[in-house]
Amino acid sequence: MVLPHLNAAYTLARYLTKDVNEAEDATQEAILRAVRYVHTLRNDADARAWLLAIVRRECYGGRQHRIDTVAFDDVPELQLVDQGAQTDAAANRSMLQHRIREVVAALPDGLRETLILRELQQCSYDEIATITEVPLGTVMSRLSRARARVAEALGSLASFEEGYG
Amino acid sequence: MTAPPPRSLGEALREALPAYEAPEALREWARAQASSEMHSLDRASKRRDIRRFAYAAGLVAALAIGWSGARIFHASGDGSRAQVLVTALVDTHVRSLMADHLTDVESSDHHTVKPWFAGKVPFAPNVPELQSQGFPLIGGRAEFVAGHTAAALVYGRGPHTINLFIWPSSASDAGAPTATYNGYALAHWSSHGLTYWAVTDAASSELEAFKRAYVASLQ
Repeated sequence: MVLPHLNAAYTLARYLTKDVNEAEDATQEAILRAVRYVHTLRNDADARAWLLAIVRRECYGGRQHRIDTVAFDDVPELQLVDQGAQTDAAANRSMLQHRIREVVAALPDGLRETLILRELQQCSYDEIATITEVPLGTVMSRLSRARARVAEALGSLASFEEGYG
Repeated sequence: MTAPPPRSLGEALREALPAYEAPEALREWARAQASSEMHSLDRASKRRDIRRFAYAAGLVAALAIGWSGARIFHASGDGSRAQVLVTALVDTHVRSLMADHLTDVESSDHHTVKPWFAGKVPFAPNVPELQSQGFPLIGGRAEFVAGHTAAALVYGRGPHTINLFIWPSSASDAGAPTATYNGYALAHWSSHGLTYWAVTDAASSELEAFKRAYVASLQ
């Protein structure tokens, strides 16, 4: 019931806590809870969303809810440019990916969790509403705001030439 | 590197953001949790330290072994000596991991571990260092297993632990050369009047490799 979704649970915890140890802790707590309350789960199809909801609560509950953004290593642009080893396109690509990670990590929790659940975990809007305990409309608006922030940050990157909507 | 650029924001995100895999120890621990209904132990076994996960799995397994073992013997009445010994060995292995009593003497130096046994057990166990073969020596302790005063050598294998129990025995003991019991692998051999039993939660192929390395080191 729980095991097939362990990677999804751990991945969500990694993005919500932004910390390996905290993520393991939260996942562990969530599993304890899930195993204990698995009998309350009525429908197997809901198992993943149910577990992710528990993980999310553990991520936020088990610590002081941090509002600060993660300090990433500075000067990412310079680190990534290694012209000898990479083509320009590849360098741009990895710079882009680094930038995306940076932007996502810096998103407010509400936007980041919505974005991760949707884009990475491919949850339905309904599932996200359940997991994050907000109305469907809020999921929609958070998702569009999160996407807009990412797109905006990417658009400002000089090397970024493809059109992102 | 030559892949086309992502066509959508979602694609770019999925490309840039890794989906993480849960660490193996966490997975093992979760498996043990999921298969256990002894929830009262959950809290006690929860630790931040990742290495504890394996121990917790052992704890749950130990209880399962004790419980199912008791049931099997009770139901079938087939408490053969070999099975009793295997059960005792696995129990001892698991207990050594649970109780924070893995070693009485903790050292990766066989010059430290071997002399420690003098006076503790009535024989001198061979304590080779097998670090180069991937089995670092962790230490040793004295044990009493199924009626035998035994030396327990402790070796590591990645995240796993191998307990090697040694005691004097004139006859070749009952028991097949290998066994598995509730997910634990056991290997058994005799040499120069000593009986060896190795027990681990690592794969039985790893245990075979350990046995080969140990035996070869004495040649």
